[in-house]
Amino acid sequence: MTAMLGKVLIVEDEPRIRRFVRDALGREGCETFEAGNVGDGLELAGAQHPDMIVLDLGLPDQSGLELIRNLRTWSSIPILILSARIAEQDKVTALDAGADDYLTKPFGVAELLARVRALLRRRQQESRPSPIRRFGDVEVDLSRRVVQRDGADIRLTPLEYSLLATLLANDGKVLTHRQLLREVWGDGYAGQSHYLKVYIGRLRQKLEPNPTQPQFLLTETGVGYRFQS
Amino acid sequence: MLIALPFRDSVDIANIDMLFLLAVFVSAVWLGRGPAVMAVFLSVALFDFFFVPPYLSFAVADAQYLITFAVMLTVGLLTSHLVSLLAERTEQAQESEIQTRLLHALGRDLGVAMNVEQVGTIAAAFLDEFELNCILLTHSKSGLLPVGDTSLPVLETGFAQSACDRNAVIEVDTLAGAGRMIAFLPMAVSDRVLGVLAIGPRQPNAGRIRELRPLLEAAAAQIALIVEHLAQADAIRKSELQANEERLRTSILAALSHDMRTPLTSLVGLADTLAQQKSPSGQIVTETATEIRDQALAMHHILSNLLEMARLQANDMRLNKEWQPIDEVIGSSIRLLASALSGHALEIRIPPGLPLVNFDAVLIERVICNLLENAIKYSTPGTPIRLDVELQPHRLEVAVANRGSGFPAGSCDSVFDLFVRGEPESATGGTGIGLAICQAIIAGHNGQIVAENIPDGACVRFSLPLGTPPTLAEESAS
Repeated sequence: MTAMLGKVLIVEDEPRIRRFVRDALGREGCETFEAGNVGDGLELAGAQHPDMIVLDLGLPDQSGLELIRNLRTWSSIPILILSARIAEQDKVTALDAGADDYLTKPFGVAELLARVRALLRRRQQESRPSPIRRFGDVEVDLSRRVVQRDGADIRLTPLEYSLLATLLANDGKVLTHRQLLREVWGDGYAGQSHYLKVYIGRLRQKLEPNPTQPQFLLTETGVGYRFQS
Repeated sequence: MLIALPFRDSVDIANIDMLFLLAVFVSAVWLGRGPAVMAVFLSVALFDFFFVPPYLSFAVADAQYLITFAVMLTVGLLTSHLVSLLAERTEQAQESEIQTRLLHALGRDLGVAMNVEQVGTIAAAFLDEFELNCILLTHSKSGLLPVGDTSLPVLETGFAQSACDRNAVIEVDTLAGAGRMIAFLPMAVSDRVLGVLAIGPRQPNAGRIRELRPLLEAAAAQIALIVEHLAQADAIRKSELQANEERLRTSILAALSHDMRTPLTSLVGLADTLAQQKSPSGQIVTETATEIRDQALAMHHILSNLLEMARLQANDMRLNKEWQPIDEVIGSSIRLLASALSGHALEIRIPPGLPLVNFDAVLIERVICNLLENAIKYSTPGTPIRLDVELQPHRLEVAVANRGSGFPAGSCDSVFDLFVRGEPESATGGTGIGLAICQAIIAGHNGQIVAENIPDGACVRFSLPLGTPPTLAEESAS
C-alpha cells in the first residue's frame, strides 16, 4: 500500500457504487468513510475531518445540495459530485453552491481516481502556496503578474490576466460561467456569458499549443471551465 | 251612459255631463287612446240625442248647448290624450322593469355558466322571453363558429362574419320571418370582437328587434364579458394542464434515467475494479472485465440517446441558447470522444475570425459528437475523419466527412428518420437514433442538416443561422 493519500468521505445511497468507489480509493491509498444519506454524511464530515467528499446528488433523505450548503458554512474541503449527464443545471447548481468538481455517471475507476487525486493535490498545494505555475510551455508568475511562453513574454489584457489567474487559483476545480463572470467582470455581467467565451478563446490562442483542442483551459459544456495542469 | 236615461228629469244635466266625462276617462284608462277618442265623440252625440232637448233628436233647441258640446269635446279629448299617455308611460315603465329584471337574471345565469355551450343555452332562454330566437357564434382560430350543436345557413353566417369584422350591428329586415336570423350583434370586449349574437324573431316582425335593440346590445355586452372570462379561464386551465403534463413527463424521464443509470454505473465501476485487479488468472479476467465494462458503457450510450430523444420530444425543445464561438464545442466534442477517435487522424479546418453563433452548447455538442461517432463507426479503419467549418451567407456550416462505403444509395434522406440506419443489416452497432436526434436539435435551432455521399465516403453537414451577435465592449489597452 502506498503512502496515505488522504481521508475521503463517500456519501452515496447505492451500496454497489459505494463499494467500487471505496475499493478504488482504498487501493489508491485513501482512508474511506461511507454514508448513505445527508444526515450521516454531515455527521461523519464533522467527526472524521475528511480531506475530501465524494457526493451523490440524489440521496434518500435530502438532496446532496443540502449537504454542500451546510458543509460550506463551516468547511472548505473539496467536494466531488457524482451526477447524471442529463442534468447540466443540477451540476451548475451544485457547483455554484460550492462543489468543486463533478463526475458524470457512469464513470470508470481511472476517471474517478484522476479527479480525486487532482482535488487532494490542490488541497495540499493550498497549504504550500507558490506564485509560480507551469503548464505546457507556459509559466505564470502570479506575484509579478508575468506570463511567459517558451521564455518569451506574452501580453495579456487585464481581463485576460484576471481570468487566467482565477482559473489557475482554482486548479482542477470547475468554475461555472456565473462564478467566472462575477469574479472577473463583476456582478453586472451575470447574463453576458459571451464575454467569457470570447476571452477564453483569446487565452487559448495565446497559451494553448492547439487552441481548438485545448489541453489546459478546458470547456465543461453547459457548465463552465476548468484549468487542468 | 244610457243608464242615466231614467234620471233624465231628476238629475241636473250638468251632472249627466260629468258622467259622460267619467265614461271617457274610464275608457281612456282601460281601452287606450283610440277607443277613448271614439267615446268622446259618441258621448257628445248621445248627450245631444238623449239629454238635450228636443230629446231623441240631434237638433239643438238652445244654442248655449253648443258651448257645452264644445267644452265636452275638448275636455274629453284632452282627458283621453293625457290618460292614455299616462297609461302608455306606465306600460313602458313596466316593460322596462321587466327587461331590467330579465337582464339582471341573465347576468346571474351567465355568472354560473361553465362553458360557452351553456352561455349559448342561457342566451337562448333569455331571448325566448321576447319571442326571439338566437344563435351564439364565437370567434376562434378556425373562424366564426356556432356554439354547441346549432348551425347557421351560409347567408346568415356571411352577415355574422361582416358584423364581426366591422364590429358593428347588422340588421337585415328583409329576412324577417321564416325563422331567419335578421340581426347580428358583435360581442366585443374593449374593441376585440369575441363573437356574434345572431337574433331572429319568431313572428315576421322586424320592428320588435329594433324596439328591443338597446336591451339586446346590453345582453350582447354581458355575454361578451362572460365569453371572454371563460376563454381566459380555459387558457389558464390548459396551460396548467400542460405544465402538469410536462412536469410528469420530466419526472418520469428523470426517474427512468436514474433507475437505469444506477445499475449501469455499478456495472461499469465494478467491472473496472475487476479489470484492474492483479490476480494470478490475470489476463483472462482483465479482458473479460474490460469487455463487460465496455458493453455496459455501450448500453449506457444507447440509453442516453433514447432518453435524450424522449426529452427532446417531451420538452418541445427548450433551448438554452447563448452567443458563442463554434470552435469551443468542436473542441469539447473531440475531447469527449478522445478514446474513440484514437484510431483515426482528425483533420479539422476552422477558418479564423468566425462570428459568434447563437446556440445551445450542450445540444450542439451532442450533434457534433453523434456525427463524429457515426463517421468513426462507418469509416474504413485508419482513414482520417474530416471536420470543416465554413462561413456562408447568413449561416455557418459544419461538415463531418469520413472515408468508407458511404450511405446506401437512395437512403440519404431517410437516415434522419427515427430508428432508420444507413445499413440495416450491418454488424455495426447502433439504434438509428443518433441522426434523428441531430435533426431534432438542428431543426430546433432553425438550421438545416443534410446527408450526402462524397467520393469514397459520406458527409453530413449542418448549418446554423447567423444573427447579430451582442457587441463586446473592448478593454482599454493593458
